[in-house]
Amino acid sequence: PRPDVDALTPGTHLLFAQSGRIEHVPLGGYDMKKNDAKPVLHLPEKVIIGVAYDCVEKMVYWTEITSPSISKANIEGGEPTSVISSGLESPEGIAIDHLGRTMFWTDSAKDHIEVASLDGSNRRVLINTDLVNPRAIIADPSNGNLYWADWNRKAPKIETSYMDGSNRRVLVRDNLGLPNGLTYDPHSSQLCWADAGTQKMECMDPGRGSRSTVLERIQYPFGMTAFGKNIYYTDWRRDAVIAVDRYASRESDEFQPQKRTRLYGIATAYAQCPAGQNYCSGN
Amino acid sequence: DATQGTPGDCQPCPCPPGATCAVVPRTREVVCTNCPTGTTGKRCELCDDGFFGDPLGQNGGVVRTCRSCKCSGNIDPNAVGNCNRENGECLKCIYNTDGFFCDRCKEGFYGNALAPEPADKCKPCACSPLGTRNQQTSCSQGTGQCECLPNVAERDCSACMPGFFNLRSGNGCERCNCNPIGSTN
Repeated sequence: PRPDVDALTPGTHLLFAQSGRIEHVPLGGYDMKKNDAKPVLHLPEKVIIGVAYDCVEKMVYWTEITSPSISKANIEGGEPTSVISSGLESPEGIAIDHLGRTMFWTDSAKDHIEVASLDGSNRRVLINTDLVNPRAIIADPSNGNLYWADWNRKAPKIETSYMDGSNRRVLVRDNLGLPNGLTYDPHSSQLCWADAGTQKMECMDPGRGSRSTVLERIQYPFGMTAFGKNIYYTDWRRDAVIAVDRYASRESDEFQPQKRTRLYGIATAYAQCPAGQNYCSGN
Repeated sequence: DATQGTPGDCQPCPCPPGATCAVVPRTREVVCTNCPTGTTGKRCELCDDGFFGDPLGQNGGVVRTCRSCKCSGNIDPNAVGNCNRENGECLKCIYNTDGFFCDRCKEGFYGNALAPEPADKCKPCACSPLGTRNQQTSCSQGTGQCECLPNVAERDCSACMPGFFNLRSGNGCERCNCNPIGSTN
């Protein structure tokens, strides 16, 4: 495989971080086209944790913890560009509001959630209380909601707020262990999480509060992303991306990269932006 | 570059056995890919996250194979970036511990960072602000003794010594000066 930046072919892909690189697997329908998997970005000295995708400019954004920073690159073959390189300690999860052109991230050492424009300007702290191990963060731009998970072993929780940080509420606090992964599927209005402690994958409708188990006895999930009927998660036990059929409640496929090392964040790179608008997009 | 037509077109990868390499088109820099398990970096000279060492012996010439972070059991395996990949310095100590190996209590805590049970590790100094010199919040690492004002007692400087009163003064306690004839002790 070529190092540097490899252009992606059109279509929907999975992007995931593996140590010093971002790999991708094209999707054919919901199937991972494993033979066509290749690294899109090679940054051998970095440890990339969070990955998010901006469908408007076709950019992948990532957090990195060795020289704590947030960077981006166009997946059609652009140079990696640093977006934020100061005032970070351990940036982990990252989420993109493609409508409002902002990004949100968690910092597990500063124990807060920040927001900034996609170019790094207009940066401010959104949430800085009652966070111990914030990791996954997800934006639902169409409804203006933000979701995040805190894997604090003493009191793990999944929370939500509006995208300006107001109206903060705990959505889930019972029967959680290490909720590492979080994803939101706007079509079914389901917020799903993968828990490395309870070893369960569960979903809920954040508006209605009904909670359901998708799958039990999963191994060690870190990141997750939803696409249609499937949920894909990165697994620290198998060093692989696992496809889960949400409706059949089973693991339907797995992709194990040649190099055996931990996989971190994962994101769906849509061929086209999901339809939707929000009130902030004109600002 | 195999298209030049010279004997030097293809050269061996400057990488450990088993790894492959590639040339970055823009910079012409050679980068190793598929480094041996546990290693990463342009020349496979770094350890993966959660490990530390010097797999090529670049710092000081001694090869130190990559080992798991050594942090006295005071890190969480679910965390990322637990130690510095080269020197092993612990970066995410928990249970109120601190230090290169998470081997002592952090400022404002005392006890034994190496105790097997988390509950027995580091406890807050909780020095009484009234009885402690300069309202310090730190205490002795081992005993937890706060630095008390004159005539103030207890580990946390929260009481006057026998025969003294007025902890509230903030300057230490004053002698009672009771008349020995009219007092019971």
